[in-house]
Amino acid sequence: MKNNLKVLRAIKNISQEDLAKEIQVSRQTINAMEKGKYAPSTILALKLARFFEKTVDEIFTLDETD
Amino acid sequence: MKTHFLFPNKYKKFGWILFVPSLLAGLILFISGFDFGDFLKLKVFAFYNDNYIFLSENKFFTIIENGVLDEILIVLIIVGAILISFSKTKNEDEFISKIRYESLVWATYLNFILMIIATLVIYGFEYFNVLLANVFAMLLFFIIRFHFMIYKLNKSSNDEE
Repeated sequence: MKNNLKVLRAIKNISQEDLAKEIQVSRQTINAMEKGKYAPSTILALKLARFFEKTVDEIFTLDETD
Repeated sequence: MKTHFLFPNKYKKFGWILFVPSLLAGLILFISGFDFGDFLKLKVFAFYNDNYIFLSENKFFTIIENGVLDEILIVLIIVGAILISFSKTKNEDEFISKIRYESLVWATYLNFILMIIATLVIYGFEYFNVLLANVFAMLLFFIIRFHFMIYKLNKSSNDEE
């Protein structure tokens, strides 16, 4: 699964740390998601979508291996 | 995040306080050949006692004299290791839970691989020591692996910024 969290975060100009606080996860989780090392739960994906005012589809997309 | 079966974060500290001194004391005494049987002798209840010296017939439900230091150390080490292993981290979330789960699987494999190897190559009374080590080995492997993975993550996400 791919995502554009890093881009969205840059647009909103918010650090990993602050985003993590905002959606109540650890900074490591944000970091791992941005690197594509971790696929979040539905709840976390929805929280991110709400924060960035996007739909989940606009943030996360399936890639060939999924 | 809701987590099942985990202790609150504050217990982790107590875990370390119990675990490290008990493990060190246990190891040092064990290696130095300390006679646990003769130290801190108390009357204790024995659900089952198989003491080859006395060969008493009444093996179940007896009161025996026993040096209790080894029992105390084993209990402290296990309780300490459990608290370290299964207290929440400061920022426990779903990703940390995933690392926790993977570390637990990893530790289980490592533990039983070593156990199989030891079973095949260690014979005689020395095998008793393998079983003794096995009482805490899995928790120890888990603690090392879990904290190493968290450390690695902290390091790699610090490098980013």
